[in-house]
Amino acid sequence: MALGKLDGVSPSLSMDRELLSYRGAKPLFALTALLTTLQGLCLILQAIFLGRMISGLFSGKQIASVSSDLLLFFIVMVCRYFMVFLIKRACYKFADRTSVELRRAFLKKLFIIGPQSAKREGTGALVSLALEGVLQARRYLELFIPKMVANGIIPVLILIYVFWTDRMSGLILLITMPVLIIFMILLGLAAQKKMDDRWASYRVLSNHFIDSLRGLSTLYYLGISKLHMRTINRVSDKYRSMTMGTLRLAFLSSFALDFFTMLSIAFVAVALGIRLVDGHILLEPALTVLILAPEYFLPVRELGQDYHATLDGKEATKQLKDYTNLPTDLENMSEADHQKSLRWTKHALLKMHDVTFQYTDAEKTTLREINMNLRGLEKVGIIGASGAGKSTLIDLIGGFISASSGTVQLNDQNFAFSTQRWREQVTYIPQHPYLFSATIRDNIAFYKPDATDQQIAQAVQAAGLNGLIDHLPEGMDEQIGSGGRQLSGGQEQRVALARAFLCDRPILLLDEPTAHLDIETEYELKQPMLQLFENKLVIFATHRLHWMEQMDRIVVLHNGKIAESGTQDELIRKKGAYFDMVCAQLEGLL
Amino acid sequence: MKEWLVPSVKRHWRGLLLAAFLSLMALLCASGLLFTSGFLISKAALRPENILMIYVPIVGVRTFGTFRAVFNYAGRLASHNTILRILSEMRAHLYAKLEPSALFIRSKYKTGNILSVLSEDIEHLQDLFLRTVLPGSIALVIYGLWIAVLGIFDRSFALMMALYLLILTIILPLLSLVQMKNDHRKIAQNRHQLYEQLTDAVLGSADWMMSGRQERFLDRYEKIEKKSRLAEAKLDGYRKWRDFIAQGLIGICVMIMVIWSGHMVQNGVMDHTLIAAFALVIFSISESFVPLSEAVERLPQYQQSLNRLEQLEDVEDSTREQIINEQWRNQAKSITLDVDHVSFKYSETDDWAVHDLTLTLPQGAKLAVIGRSGAGKSTLAHLIYGVLEPTDGTVSLNGTPAHQMGAYRSAQISVLSQDPHLFDTSVLNNLALGSPDATFDEIVAVTKQVGLHQLIEKLPEGYHTQMHEAGSIFSGGERERLALARILLRDTPVVILDEPTVGLDPLTERTLLATIFTTLEGKTLIWITHHLMGTEQMDKVIFLENGRVHLQGTHDHLLMASERYKHLYALDVPQHLRQLVHEQKTEV
Repeated sequence: MALGKLDGVSPSLSMDRELLSYRGAKPLFALTALLTTLQGLCLILQAIFLGRMISGLFSGKQIASVSSDLLLFFIVMVCRYFMVFLIKRACYKFADRTSVELRRAFLKKLFIIGPQSAKREGTGALVSLALEGVLQARRYLELFIPKMVANGIIPVLILIYVFWTDRMSGLILLITMPVLIIFMILLGLAAQKKMDDRWASYRVLSNHFIDSLRGLSTLYYLGISKLHMRTINRVSDKYRSMTMGTLRLAFLSSFALDFFTMLSIAFVAVALGIRLVDGHILLEPALTVLILAPEYFLPVRELGQDYHATLDGKEATKQLKDYTNLPTDLENMSEADHQKSLRWTKHALLKMHDVTFQYTDAEKTTLREINMNLRGLEKVGIIGASGAGKSTLIDLIGGFISASSGTVQLNDQNFAFSTQRWREQVTYIPQHPYLFSATIRDNIAFYKPDATDQQIAQAVQAAGLNGLIDHLPEGMDEQIGSGGRQLSGGQEQRVALARAFLCDRPILLLDEPTAHLDIETEYELKQPMLQLFENKLVIFATHRLHWMEQMDRIVVLHNGKIAESGTQDELIRKKGAYFDMVCAQLEGLL
Repeated sequence: MKEWLVPSVKRHWRGLLLAAFLSLMALLCASGLLFTSGFLISKAALRPENILMIYVPIVGVRTFGTFRAVFNYAGRLASHNTILRILSEMRAHLYAKLEPSALFIRSKYKTGNILSVLSEDIEHLQDLFLRTVLPGSIALVIYGLWIAVLGIFDRSFALMMALYLLILTIILPLLSLVQMKNDHRKIAQNRHQLYEQLTDAVLGSADWMMSGRQERFLDRYEKIEKKSRLAEAKLDGYRKWRDFIAQGLIGICVMIMVIWSGHMVQNGVMDHTLIAAFALVIFSISESFVPLSEAVERLPQYQQSLNRLEQLEDVEDSTREQIINEQWRNQAKSITLDVDHVSFKYSETDDWAVHDLTLTLPQGAKLAVIGRSGAGKSTLAHLIYGVLEPTDGTVSLNGTPAHQMGAYRSAQISVLSQDPHLFDTSVLNNLALGSPDATFDEIVAVTKQVGLHQLIEKLPEGYHTQMHEAGSIFSGGERERLALARILLRDTPVVILDEPTVGLDPLTERTLLATIFTTLEGKTLIWITHHLMGTEQMDKVIFLENGRVHLQGTHDHLLMASERYKHLYALDVPQHLRQLVHEQKTEV
């Protein structure tokens, strides 16, 4: 249990200005203020009618003679809750609409940034932000405005009325509020501080269980998985006592809220009682004040109730906004296609001049001053140690990232990779091609949904998938991907090849497609792959040297720079970086 | 229910009762405060001669006012304390259930995040206690007490009130449960669909970008999302109406109370100072019934979590509690591993995963196992490790069947797997997992052997650096080295290497393999691999296909005898390239 889930830590009273910038927030604010004022008036009238009714009965009136008060009481009470109903409805509508806008913007951005952000933030985090995060944001947007408005208006209205009726009670209520708030904030801060101090141990303890589950097979192999049970119990116990220690403090702030509220009501009651004895006040106003006293504190108490829902929602809203506002110079997909279409031919020439790419987090490989030409239908192998920038270069050419500086020219015209018309020329095959949760047919036809059965059958044949498909109970209609039949790495790669055969785009980008496969599978894939390379511009990043024999040209990357390039024979004779790499790999193990 | 909830409730009923009692007292104090203050001012309005006449209610008001907060505080602590205890036990129980099938979780549950899902399910169940069981039962007790109090004054009215309040305590919550159950299910299904679609799209975002059809996905997604939004709006609307009606019912309740108490006073049955008391207290009493609907409404959500936990089967661990041969209590110096005509299938209807396999490995033998995925490599490893029992034939270690080694097997065989888990504790603790008795010097000695010592020394706190800080510093190869160090500490005579180098680049792979083979010299090695790099170091190479050996021999022998092997080897070591390099080298 994360501490963050516990309710009752001091509510933040800071007004979130950002909120007002959303469309329709200001009118909603005004409407809520109006309805809340009406609600407050109803609430006061309700207390007046009830007080009058009771004091009437107290002084011996007949029930029939107070029936008009009774009816009025009921009417204003219904009115009061109808106002609440209206406020909630208006706020829900606003929250719903705003959260939909947030989500739309978020998803749109997701497809502009694409795999880069999935790598950086993690797929799970992105998906849960789009699903759970948006719900939390909606909850926050829904709750925040009415709560703030209620706190601003209702206590003030009640206080005015109480002062007008009985100054003494007014004074008690007036003094309690700031004391209560100060105590809540102080205790909340103390709890927060204690939590921050222990944050590191907390993190370890709270993660311990899931960490143990993930490492279960390692524990098993080490022969301590049974023993580890004791550790789990011990850590769990430690976590509990630590949590309880913090809770003792954290709950104090709601203790303060309770304590001062109740004490204040008690003081009001006693003070009223004593002055009633003295005859300074009458029963009717005294009753009205007493009925109003709990209502005076109600908004503050409600503020504390959903405090964490609001906090989570605020955080989610911020994350959604931040993501949507991420800087990107990738071209927006909607405006991508106004340029005239593009077709890579055997005479095409692409020049990269001093192209540089820098990741925002400095740890990762960057590309520096890449000068490279791609010509016609040549086959270019990209090679280098891991971390040399091979994948980054592929991502750059594929348009998943865009260069920070340098120029790219296509047939002597300035040009950017990150456009839709370029991407539509390119087939990209990564190490682990993604299989959608769909039929094998839909997966193959992903890039060309309108392909005929015959075309698909040809692609299947070319990729060597027919053996697999013949064995599937549903044939081409077999579900694959998550939730469907699991394919082996080699079969996945064949599906990717079939996709590539089917859409037949003139440029082929490959990023380590065989590194993880067993050698027999790699051997069998080599033929269909070589067939796919025909009549295409091929850019192939790999560690596996045997592919280099089929390349027209090899580009060797070292620390994000091009170390050398040329045909395999040239590079070997040159005895440069490539030669060293090959020697290291071909040497015996020991 | 039976497995997960009942035992913890049985064990912790005292704590739960205490928590409920304290929270109940808190609510009673709040009601008591309003009741006595109504009584107080009515009494005072009679202008008694002496202030002492109202002294008791004054004390009552103050006491109730103070104790309400105290009880509330104590109640919350008590409930959290008990529930945290219950959660601890549930976690331990979950662990105990998963532990026997530790090696098969991944293949069994396909979805990678099953572990997080289960652990979150347990967290969800705390709300069952905190938000449903405790508030629900307290509200029902308050209901009973309130009716009893009324009964003292007027039995028939108490009966009427009991029936009327049933609307708030039973009928409205049940109606919401029935009404919302379907909507909740629809929303849950819909959200599940959204979750899958979106995960699919994010994982395949590169393909969507390349295809240029992103808009189409967004449109489709938007349509499903709209359905779920409409259902949610409907639910929300229903909730708003329900709350509105509940407030109306409370209003009517207040009116009934006022009329009744006026009536009672006029009949002289009740003192007129109690009118205000009853009218005030009914607000706080009936308010405590409002959360009931929400408490009940949540039930289907817990049901889902509970179902998932309950679906975990008990694993009968036939390979665990076998008669253990006492000779294995101590680590053996030398083990002869004998695989004799072993066949295995996972179930009656399956094909053979391993078929008629025979091998003899004396101490120190080195075997490479090659084959495509599904060829039976992992099954063979599990058979040798003894966590699977052969369908036919025997796997034995010095004559003892491998599956009868029980708890002693981990002292004889170590496994270096593809993705060893590094635990979220210090680097030192991670290493010490290999052998809890190892001294610091012994640990340093093995980290030096695997070539990690310098790297670890450079970490901010050396060996005491927490893994989550160091985790990103260790690369894939270094993580394997760390796991190798653990294995060296165990110093078992047999080591299974389960594709430890998948995903590493060739140079890292090469140096890692070199370290593995040097440090594990003298041990029996069973190396499952996907490349031929390094096979020349092995005594024997076997190729598995559909569970059968279809090629075997030493590297040199296979290179001579098998055309296929020659082709495969050429992928790892291209002949043309080798020749070129050779020419260049000899030129110098």
